[in-house]
Amino acid sequence: MDLPSGHALVTALVTGVLLGGLFAITALGLSLVFGVMRLINLVHGELIVLGAYLAFVLLEHGGIDPLLGLLVIAPALAVVAYPIQRVLLTPLMSKGAEAPLLTTFGLSVIAQNVFILVFSGDTQSLSTSYASDSVDLAGIDVPVVYLISFGLALALSVAAHLVIQRTGIGREIRASAEDAVAAEVMGVNVPRIYAVTYGLGAGCAAVGGVLVGLTFSFTPTTGVTYLLTGFAVVVLGGLGSVKGTLLGGLLLGAIESVGGAFFGDGYRDLIGFLVFLTFLAIRPQGLFGRRPA
Amino acid sequence: MSGSLVARTAASRRREREAEDPGAPLLETTGLTKRFGGVTAVDSLDLTVGRREALGVIGPNGAGKSTLIGLLNGAHRPTSGTIRIAGRDVTGAPPHAIARLGIGRTHQVPQPFAQMTVLENLMLGRLYAGEPASFSDADRDCRAILERTGLGAQAETPAGRLPLLSLKRLELARALALGPRLLLLDEIGAGLIEAELAELIALVQELKRDVESILIVEHVLDVIQECCDRVVVLDWGKKLVEGSPSQVLADPQVAAVYLGTGSASAERRRLAGARAGEGALLSVEGIGASYDTFRALRDVTFAVEPGEVVALLGANGAGKTTTARVLSGMLRADAGSVTFKGTRIDGRSPHEIVRLGLVHCMEGRRIFADLTVEENLLLGGRNAASKAERATRLGRVYELFDVLAMKRNDSGATLSGGQQQMLAIGRALMADPELVIFDEISLGLAPVVVDQLYGALAELNERGVTMVIIEQNVERGLALANHVHVLERGAVALSGTPDELRGDPRVRALYVGEARGEA
Amino acid sequence: MSPALTLARGRGLASRGGRRAAAGAAFLVLGLVLATLPTFASDYTVLVGYRVLEYAALAQAWNLLAGYGGLVSLGSAAFIGIGSYATAEITIHSGVPLVPAMLGSGAAAAAFAVIVSVPLFRLRGLYFAIGTLTLAEALRIWMVNWNGFGGASGQFLTDTAPGNHEIYYLSLVVLALATALVAGVLRTRLGVGLRAVRDNEDVAQEMGLSTFRTKLWAFALAASVMGAVGGMQAARLSAIEPYGAFNLQWTIDIVNIAIVGGLGTIAGPLAGAAFVIILGELLADYPELHVAITGAILIAVIRFAPRGLWGTLAGAGLPAPLRLLARRRG
Repeated sequence: MDLPSGHALVTALVTGVLLGGLFAITALGLSLVFGVMRLINLVHGELIVLGAYLAFVLLEHGGIDPLLGLLVIAPALAVVAYPIQRVLLTPLMSKGAEAPLLTTFGLSVIAQNVFILVFSGDTQSLSTSYASDSVDLAGIDVPVVYLISFGLALALSVAAHLVIQRTGIGREIRASAEDAVAAEVMGVNVPRIYAVTYGLGAGCAAVGGVLVGLTFSFTPTTGVTYLLTGFAVVVLGGLGSVKGTLLGGLLLGAIESVGGAFFGDGYRDLIGFLVFLTFLAIRPQGLFGRRPA
Repeated sequence: MSGSLVARTAASRRREREAEDPGAPLLETTGLTKRFGGVTAVDSLDLTVGRREALGVIGPNGAGKSTLIGLLNGAHRPTSGTIRIAGRDVTGAPPHAIARLGIGRTHQVPQPFAQMTVLENLMLGRLYAGEPASFSDADRDCRAILERTGLGAQAETPAGRLPLLSLKRLELARALALGPRLLLLDEIGAGLIEAELAELIALVQELKRDVESILIVEHVLDVIQECCDRVVVLDWGKKLVEGSPSQVLADPQVAAVYLGTGSASAERRRLAGARAGEGALLSVEGIGASYDTFRALRDVTFAVEPGEVVALLGANGAGKTTTARVLSGMLRADAGSVTFKGTRIDGRSPHEIVRLGLVHCMEGRRIFADLTVEENLLLGGRNAASKAERATRLGRVYELFDVLAMKRNDSGATLSGGQQQMLAIGRALMADPELVIFDEISLGLAPVVVDQLYGALAELNERGVTMVIIEQNVERGLALANHVHVLERGAVALSGTPDELRGDPRVRALYVGEARGEA
Repeated sequence: MSPALTLARGRGLASRGGRRAAAGAAFLVLGLVLATLPTFASDYTVLVGYRVLEYAALAQAWNLLAGYGGLVSLGSAAFIGIGSYATAEITIHSGVPLVPAMLGSGAAAAAFAVIVSVPLFRLRGLYFAIGTLTLAEALRIWMVNWNGFGGASGQFLTDTAPGNHEIYYLSLVVLALATALVAGVLRTRLGVGLRAVRDNEDVAQEMGLSTFRTKLWAFALAASVMGAVGGMQAARLSAIEPYGAFNLQWTIDIVNIAIVGGLGTIAGPLAGAAFVIILGELLADYPELHVAITGAILIAVIRFAPRGLWGTLAGAGLPAPLRLLARRRG
């Protein structure tokens, strides 16, 4: 373990926080779905990867910039997700927590292998003109995509927050999350709310996928890593809290980055997981969550 | 702590028992308190259970009876106070240590190990908490217990398939398998019909030979009268009265706590009464419903005319809330029909029923703590045709309950019990309903607050809202209603106008259990 | 023969004693077939047989945890990987033969289970599942990056790999032991306690059970079987490296096989392993299709036949003798 220089440490910290935006976005969909429906959506990672693949197709065959392509991809994913929730998952939710969990597990397995069949197992990435650019921020080298991630994370979090806290449908979502039975008796169409939430989660996954494709590379099995980092963010930040997910993501990004500076890049994920496991054992409600595990 | 509490061999167990103080009561609580968030469920309770004694604990809903049992068997940690077993301090010990010390309990809602056989359900306690024994010894002992509790024939049946009375027997048998010195019985009589109850009472009386002492928490006062040596009455988590069963049940304070005070009836408002000539608004015919194996409703039939106030009364477990759940679509009826404004609504989902104009103001309030007062109300008004319409309704609710207006931006969690109930009522009204079911709005609230709420209800009725009021408190129900139906064990047992029923001794009997036939 | 006697004979066969005997006979036949397979089957069949038995043993161990204990662990890969590395290191550094090395693997995996149980068992249900998954993944990343034990490129084992027949019999023994272990545990106090924890953990505590200790036993026992299989795998491949040893695919396959076969039944894991592996061989040219189809079958099973293939078949009235092998979950 080499001690990094002061400059390297600051760089790691800053880039880590910015990159944390990416983590926050990949976790947002997971956080929403779990917060509202108490469903751990194990196919979330594959939704992210699907977003990346769709952007790849649009880029390679249509020359469409991935960020622009999001305007199509995100709704497309949301539309795909809606029937999954309504048809496959909702009927199972009364049968205990394991059945939907294992179903999403099965879907994840299917999806990974469909990706291999359709797109081949090769590593891909979204190579746009700016994908490898960086800017100089007060002496620190910051990749452009990191800035984009951070910006999008802020924007999405604010948007999600506004929708949930200020709109009618947000009210219904919050009520369904707290007490689904009471909400239904008050007239809320809870099954529809669940499906909408799941769709929103998929839309967020799409954004995450595009950013992952721009920032890193991806393969059919990359989803698992982002599923786990998504959990780490959700647990760190606290369940059911959009603000918590954002801050959890930034925090995780910083921890991984700084950890990587000390121990080497290969250990980044590991450090993140260890922090996650610690939180899970000691403070499962995270920094801002209210519901105890 | 648990290590030192658990005797691992028969010999050490015997040594422990010999070392105990024979003069100390078997169970003693001092200043026992349990708070859940803002609610004090048990408040500085001093309770003793002597050797070879059967103690009854009664009290209205919300008095803290179930919490007490949870505290005694280690399921809850006390907020403060101590618990002693035969003089030894066991406060805060985990449930498995308490079990090994000889405390067994039954659950109000039976919780069998559903996928294990009846015999296996018992074997667990015998092998882990009973006197250390081999498998074959344990098997023999458990079968003997099954015979005594009437479950001998079902030893190999998976516990999940048993009917309710058998499940209750299983709860008892399972607790006995621990070889307990003190048996805690939690509302074991709930939901049973008369014949089943008699059997259960006989069983409990027999059991007094096997265990040193029993603590019985009950609503069904027959059980208390027949089985207990001494009774404690709890109200608001505190001890109200203590004495022999006949003393306690004759005490006017106790009657007041259960039946309501006489003063409420003095407020006879002039009620609108039914609007004639429109046909029944709500028609309930022969409803039956079950929770798994528990038949909660057998045959409920009544009608509600437009503009009327109908009260559904009955003791705990009679089926009042279950009826409300069937009406609002939360629970599917497996027999009979419900017709609202000429349309069949049984089998529809709750949000559809709300859209038709029938709203259920749920038991326990169930307001959304995550949302502010105003958001709770706006949620209730989601069916409004326009924002203006919703604003008008909001205004009317604030007019009815001005404390809600004052707290409109506060979170639901910061309201007191009475304010939460007002919010729940207001939220129901926001749907501009034609019929509202008010389910146990007086639960856990001070009489003064309840007076206020019922005043609001009377006002609403004058404005033309039809109501079904579900009440444990007989006087409250009688005061406001045009028509009364008394439920017993899932069916309507008595019907009439308040005046007809007020003097009827059968009503009192259903609650306080006097002048019953033979046990 | 008089009609009365014939009737009495027929009734006799259907009696409990008769059914038990028939079940025992069927079991014996199956055992004989499995035991003598290498003598009459082709090399390829023996190899497939080895894989079926290996996965059946793993699924049986997971069955103890999840089927009978209700502990859905997604961390099986960790134990398998630890077992692989333990056998490798033991045989490389001490020349101890394979079987004792596998015992060492089992012990190592069990030790790991004990160590992580303290934080892990504070989690319940879904959180427990996620916690185990994360732990396994963390361990994998660690092993990939750390330079000890050969680092990312791994090491070669010094002993020669066991031959086809040898590995087949080894896996048969492991499966037999795993099955005997599960069946044995179910007859003890631990078995009763474990199933009680599955059905209602809180009430189990009220019956005097220390649920932590009960869960720990199941966890450690399951881990030891998985560790032993991992050791066997390392010997067979004659090499270890972290990507393969700790691969998530182990966990995925085990969950698939156990559920498709039938959780909470003794014969389910073998049935599931046979089904999945043989299906895989039939689709050998299309490996992704195979895994995708297995995923689809998993979903279908959960939705329509949650007791698994074996559990449902046995419940739906297979010939009476075989019914006794299944302790149904439903």
